[in-house]
Amino acid sequence: MGAQQREYKKRIRSAQGMQKIFKAQEMIAAARISKAQARVEATTPYADAITQAIGAVATHTRDAVHPFLAQDRSRTGRVAILLITSDRGMAGSYSSSAIRQAERLNNTLRAEGKSVERYIVGRKGDSYFRFRNRRVEQSWTPYKETELVELGHEIAATLNARLLDESENGLDELFVVGTRFISRFQQEARVARLVPLAVVDADEDADTTFPLYDFIPDAATVLDDLVPRYVTSRIVSILLQSMASEHASRQRAMKTATDNADSQITKFTRLANAARQAEITQEITEIVGGADALAGSGRKDR
Amino acid sequence: MSSLEVTFVTAGSTVWTGRAAQVVVPALDGSMGILPRMQPTLAILGSGDVRVIDESGRAEVFGVDGGFMSMDDDIVTIGVDSLHPATGAGSR
Repeated sequence: MGAQQREYKKRIRSAQGMQKIFKAQEMIAAARISKAQARVEATTPYADAITQAIGAVATHTRDAVHPFLAQDRSRTGRVAILLITSDRGMAGSYSSSAIRQAERLNNTLRAEGKSVERYIVGRKGDSYFRFRNRRVEQSWTPYKETELVELGHEIAATLNARLLDESENGLDELFVVGTRFISRFQQEARVARLVPLAVVDADEDADTTFPLYDFIPDAATVLDDLVPRYVTSRIVSILLQSMASEHASRQRAMKTATDNADSQITKFTRLANAARQAEITQEITEIVGGADALAGSGRKDR
Repeated sequence: MSSLEVTFVTAGSTVWTGRAAQVVVPALDGSMGILPRMQPTLAILGSGDVRVIDESGRAEVFGVDGGFMSMDDDIVTIGVDSLHPATGAGSR
């Protein structure tokens, strides 16, 4: 076998090996999407319930005041970005588009004269900033997929405490950059502002049609408890959605990689065949040429 | 007789949904009973037992620790942080 053929065969074998890995990764991701999606759905009723409750307080009480509800929070000029990325690579543009969104947000906020603190989930985002020698306030990595809810509570506890901090280094605003899971085929990195809360203002006239709520023990206590709880629930929900998106993104990336390996194999098989054919042709030409030369010399014996 | 439409959820799962005749929740300042046609209420829960009494009078008891309860137009929504076996206090 010629050197050229051997080279092609080697490439084919390596592409086949990688293809098997990609294929396996793709199937793992596909299996995990449904689980992650189920987890998102399991938390939806709670999120709906709390959103409804918050909406009720916000629309039914005029005197209710909570620091997170104040639309103009500019005490310290410090804002936090919570960025959610993956721990592992091979997930296509999942982490990089989230990072890009965060950077864009970072630039906008800095242009407004605010100082930005970064909180990061996932090794990819963490190493991105550490490599560039940029300060990361706190990072949670590596994380376990099965403990996302607990992780969400932990993150929320940290951030809520910083947001409620009345001192010099308290936070004014909180943005979360995560990836929204629209469908298996579509995910989108997006920014959500959690604090100050964007309470959708109902029409002013609609107020009168709602009955007055009774708050137990009282409106202030209810708000103090409910608002951080809402922030927590949003963070957990974004975390879970991002996880589902990561799997979907990885599945797509691995599908593409499998297809690429396939076309690579086809290409090299063709080249190897051509090389083999060329070798055979060359051998035949040499034999025929040799025979002709022998016949021309007039010798009968060999 | 009217009844309550109850949705009882934790952060990660739905515990109980359906129609009930009466619900008792552990509000911060003491146990609170909810009957149909009660005024709209939003309450913060402490730790204790949530009792759901369905239309046939059968009670189900869940131990909870922290959460909230909203009641509006006979729709009761209970969201709790953590669920554990009933403590027995206040249950039948």
